[in-house]
Amino acid sequence: MKALDHATSRDKPAKSTFNKINLEAAAKTFHMRGQSIRALDPVDLHVDPREFVALVGPSGCGKSTILNLVAGLMPPTSGTVAYNGMPVSDLNRSVGYMTQKDTLLPWRRTADNVRVALELKCRDTSRSLADEKVARMLELVGLKGFENHYPSELSGGMRKRTLLARTLIYEPETLLMDEPFGALDAQLKLVMLDQLQTLTRQRDMTVLFVTHDLGEAISLADRVVVMSARPGRIRTIRKIDLPRPRDVFKIRFTEEFARYHEELWDVLKDEVGRGTEM
Amino acid sequence: MTGAVAIARKSGAIDADIALPTGGSAGWRVALARLLIVTAIVGVWEYAPVSKQIKFWLSSPSKILGTLWGWIVDGSLWSHLGATLSVMSTGYVVGCFMGITLGLMLGFLPRVYRVMSPYIAAFYALPKIALAPLFIILLGIGMSSKVALVAITVFFLLLNNTIDGIRDVDKDLVESLRLMGATRGEVLRKVLVPSALPWIFTGARISVRYAFTSTLLAELIASNRGLGFLIEFNSGNFNATGSYAAILVLVIFSVALTETLTRMQSLVSRRKN
Repeated sequence: MKALDHATSRDKPAKSTFNKINLEAAAKTFHMRGQSIRALDPVDLHVDPREFVALVGPSGCGKSTILNLVAGLMPPTSGTVAYNGMPVSDLNRSVGYMTQKDTLLPWRRTADNVRVALELKCRDTSRSLADEKVARMLELVGLKGFENHYPSELSGGMRKRTLLARTLIYEPETLLMDEPFGALDAQLKLVMLDQLQTLTRQRDMTVLFVTHDLGEAISLADRVVVMSARPGRIRTIRKIDLPRPRDVFKIRFTEEFARYHEELWDVLKDEVGRGTEM
Repeated sequence: MTGAVAIARKSGAIDADIALPTGGSAGWRVALARLLIVTAIVGVWEYAPVSKQIKFWLSSPSKILGTLWGWIVDGSLWSHLGATLSVMSTGYVVGCFMGITLGLMLGFLPRVYRVMSPYIAAFYALPKIALAPLFIILLGIGMSSKVALVAITVFFLLLNNTIDGIRDVDKDLVESLRLMGATRGEVLRKVLVPSALPWIFTGARISVRYAFTSTLLAELIASNRGLGFLIEFNSGNFNATGSYAAILVLVIFSVALTETLTRMQSLVSRRKN
């Protein structure tokens, strides 16, 4: 609310521009071989600038669909999806989208894969600056020494980290992340969560983060959205009032964290149960 | 004798490359065995006691090499070889260039491709050699009709491979680059072309052989120069020795071609890894 007041007093934007991302009764139905599958029931979701929102829920609950809608990869069947107050009609170039799929270019080495966004005309980055950024980013995600490896020579976790580096390097104002750390081991995952928090705070990024892992969601997010099993609907939105910066390594052992976890797990476990029955 | 020895030495060289890490002696033994086989065949062919009539049709290695030497000395060999090479390479380059260019365009414009695909498929299915007589009527007996035949053969191979290569591109890669803000041109340069490149290389490699075959066939049908003409002319005059000599030239030429291609390919794949 405070951020909202601040924005109003400063530049008096129209109502719709208060939010970075606005889903109004957005729904999605897929048609496959004569069958229609309701992936997402009408959903209202509003994300403020610089907010970190985590989406949790059973598989097939439409979490990825929400990201695809915001990225403009597909239009909603009904309702509207707006970004910065403008309806998303084409690919949304303001977002960095880290999908679940491995989209590294197989003919490029690690460093060149991370660099690719900086080579584009719309960024116009000098060679030396790009080199410097790539080196820094690779060090950050722990891939120093693997600059000259091809994706086929990297482990699954390393490929994920390369994808993360490639998405972060051009500092998109909004990050869409679809289970980015699913393939990482527990320790590395914590390191990456810590880096993600630092980077997104530093660069004032808005983040929409899809995960299976409730603990991960609570550690990072300003708000956690719990979704129901298919067709996807929002069950609960919970604000996480843990102070920042958060120590992702230790936050799990605090009382507040445990309380949030228990509360949200109560909601989530019904959905997970329903999800597996189907 | 020199031709046969050259071939034997050539295959020995390939073998030495492979056998090098495991030790040279085995490689040399294989090379020796191969040399013995060639010597034995050449010996039997030369000295076998057969009737004069059979000798006329079988000829003999010494006569064949004699004829070959004559062609080398009077320079006719080089002019025939040059004619074949220039038809083949001109047709190949023209066909590759047009096939890759049009393939990239059609690969990038899927709607146009959908309209065109039945026509392309129909022409692709057609054995191009059937067009040779038509090209002779249209373009005459000279070099241009042969170049056209080679070019159209190579063109369809490259066109199809390039289109297949681009259609095989992982759509998610294209999407991820587009989300980063890449223009259509950048997507083409950074995703579509590199992704289709192995397909294009394969097409280019395969079509060298097709270009060679088409050139020879075109020369066999109607020509006054080239290796195909040399075979046709000598057979037409019941000159078995001349035919064998021309085929020997063809064998050496084919081996050299295959060798060059293999070397180039290993060079490319080494750079890729």
